[in-house]
Amino acid sequence: MKDSLVLLGRVPAHPDSRCWFLAWNPAGTLLASCGGDRSVRIWGTEGDSWICKSVLSEGHQRTVRKVAWSPCGNYLASASFDATTCIWKKNQDDFECVTTLEGHENEVKSVAWAPSGNLLATCSRDKSVWVWEVDEEDEYECVSVLNSHTQDVKHVVWHPSQELLASASYDDTVKLYREEEDDWVCCATLEGHESTVWSLAFDPSGQRLASCSDDRTVRIWRQYPPDNEQGVACSGSDPSWKCICTLSGFHSRTIYDVAWCQLTGALATACGDDAIRVFEEDPSSDPQQPTFSLTAHLPQAHSQDVNCVAWNPKEQGLLASCSDDGEVAFWKYQRPEGI
Amino acid sequence: MAAMASPFSGALQLTDLDDFIGPSQDCIKPMKVDKRPGGGVAKIHIEDDGSYFQVSQDGGTQKLEKAKISLDDCLACSGCVTSAETVLITQQSHEELRKVLDANKTAAPGQQRLVVVSVSPQSRASLAARFQLTPTDTARKLTAFFKKLGVHYVFDTAFSRNFSLLESQREFVQRFRGQANSTQALPMFTSACPGWICYAEKTHGSFLIPYLSTARSPQQVMGSLVKDFFAQQQHLTPDRIYHVTVMPCYDKKLEASRPDFFSQEHQTRDVDCVVTTGEVFKLLEEEGVSLSQLEPAPLDSLCSSASAQEPTSHRGGGSGGYLEHVFQHAARELFGIHVDEVTYRPLRNKDFQEVTLEKEGRVLLHFATAYGFRNIQNLVQKLKRGRCPYHYVEVMACPAGCLNGGGQLKALGTPSKALLQHVEMLYGMVRTEAPEEVPGVQELYRCWLQGEGSERAGHLLHTSYHAVEKASSGLSIRW
Repeated sequence: MKDSLVLLGRVPAHPDSRCWFLAWNPAGTLLASCGGDRSVRIWGTEGDSWICKSVLSEGHQRTVRKVAWSPCGNYLASASFDATTCIWKKNQDDFECVTTLEGHENEVKSVAWAPSGNLLATCSRDKSVWVWEVDEEDEYECVSVLNSHTQDVKHVVWHPSQELLASASYDDTVKLYREEEDDWVCCATLEGHESTVWSLAFDPSGQRLASCSDDRTVRIWRQYPPDNEQGVACSGSDPSWKCICTLSGFHSRTIYDVAWCQLTGALATACGDDAIRVFEEDPSSDPQQPTFSLTAHLPQAHSQDVNCVAWNPKEQGLLASCSDDGEVAFWKYQRPEGI
Repeated sequence: MAAMASPFSGALQLTDLDDFIGPSQDCIKPMKVDKRPGGGVAKIHIEDDGSYFQVSQDGGTQKLEKAKISLDDCLACSGCVTSAETVLITQQSHEELRKVLDANKTAAPGQQRLVVVSVSPQSRASLAARFQLTPTDTARKLTAFFKKLGVHYVFDTAFSRNFSLLESQREFVQRFRGQANSTQALPMFTSACPGWICYAEKTHGSFLIPYLSTARSPQQVMGSLVKDFFAQQQHLTPDRIYHVTVMPCYDKKLEASRPDFFSQEHQTRDVDCVVTTGEVFKLLEEEGVSLSQLEPAPLDSLCSSASAQEPTSHRGGGSGGYLEHVFQHAARELFGIHVDEVTYRPLRNKDFQEVTLEKEGRVLLHFATAYGFRNIQNLVQKLKRGRCPYHYVEVMACPAGCLNGGGQLKALGTPSKALLQHVEMLYGMVRTEAPEEVPGVQELYRCWLQGEGSERAGHLLHTSYHAVEKASSGLSIRW
């Protein structure tokens, strides 16, 4: 299983600091990284190696915790502990900060762009999730402030095709939100994790959501619309979500990130035990009760906690990871034979 | 504490109340230790019922008294371990009102306090909806209920609201005319909502404060009326009056506890206790009383010329009608235009609406209402970028305004939207009066305040705001 994940290269992305998060641009040609050194770096290939093409260092006063590309690939959002979110516009190799979103009371923990490109979500230690709308003139306005969580909100992610937003929190729950009339409402709360939920990832179809937690499990949740064939009860017109699979016993520490490959359906995890793991769904398993097998386990992938794993959206098997050790690593994943 | 939704407005929830009543590491109040000679070391034993007993070396036990901390103690010193929310909710509650009423029963005549309750029209509308009564019947029956409990007078804050509206009108016209002299004259933002004010003071401090209207809210004007005018009339010092207000939200408790509304001279607050509509309902339940079954009592009024047996209200929505009154007054005063009906145009959502006064294609006045935190956010961000097109904005922390406050009675069975519409309808049923035409108001300006725009009027009908520093101590961070 060690051979299914092969190291392609490492870069000291944020030296003497932590590298917190990575995001591939939609074209799969650039990788944005961000870290405790308050900067965002853009990486691209030059021949066989990865080089730093830009450094965005003037945007934030504190750690940059997450970065996210817009669906069109022309904008990058960075969420920072300085309570702001910067929106950068790409102009060839240069990035210019076109606006700074303020309003959160304290550290912004995550930012995510909706598939339509018109909406942005941010979340914070102030327990709230904000939805922003951007107009043609690159002006952002707050559309909703959601106070559903009772603790620090760690991560937000949008459904791949619907305007459905998911958030993960220190309050051990995952919440889902949708638009209702002129406001956004929490339409589901997923309970089951026994500790902080650190990250989320939708599967390529958007029917399932993976969550990872400090409780050392990954949970897979499935959406059941009203009048579903399986007879899962729904209240009103909102779908119900059920936990259909729990991956436990594989991770020895907190799982900080989970990434669901949109090309192959493989699930990668970033763990506090410095390892990277990959899981694949058994093809013969029941869709209502799927089973996943561990297809790669690389201990010591980094010398410290792995904070993020990110699948390249265009190149199959290309995985990037980053760590508290400040490094970014690139991997080639190949599904092992006989599985 | 288990995860419980905070009853305060969204704006206050995000603002962190602890910076207003700051908890810090040392509670200094219960430091009064009775030192007895030769006591030696005592052990503390906790009984099953939670009471504490001190067991001295000779085996003797003594029950220990719980350290009691009053709200005033908290406000006076900086050290209290309790969080601000807990302090506000427990120290200003219907139980506190009960305690005062009970104390009155056993106190000597010279020691009794005159208890006055001022009811907001929004709370009255909420109770009217629950008990299926008209606003008039609700007002009369509430009066009867409070008097049964031992309250001496029951007033309506719609009366004090007249002053808030008149002062706001005058202030706006002054600031509009003074635009050439000051870059911060406009826009002017309403200040009757404490959720908004506390957020503004804390998050945007010195930047936003110059734009806030200095007119006091109806609650605090009533505080002035009761503790200054009424006290004089009753030949009492202000501290002998216990003034309770009934409000649609919890944020008003914070407003009442502001140092600006505490009289150093008389060591008393203008408003001693704020109870929410829900807390009044609890009182009714505890008394085993259904409001509808009570015999109505005649309504009290602050001055004889204002006495009426029916409550009156103001146009312009359930949050006081500031935009509407200031708009119509400004149109008349500044442009000589008489506006019969104010037309609202909804913007991105129904809590964000605008009103314009146009003449020959020119926009003379551009006003807006911004309710709810997301609209407040956008408004402030626009202002910061120099892109705020409004002259005046009525700002409220709660979506749909005060009728939808966090302290109002919740819907039973029916969807909350239907209840809100019902409460709005009941609120709107009350006959409205222009503040200029309310009899007692002009009289009070003359004899109590010594004229409009006088120094006394400025002192009793206006207030000021203070930028609040974010507490940087690690102890105030809720990890």
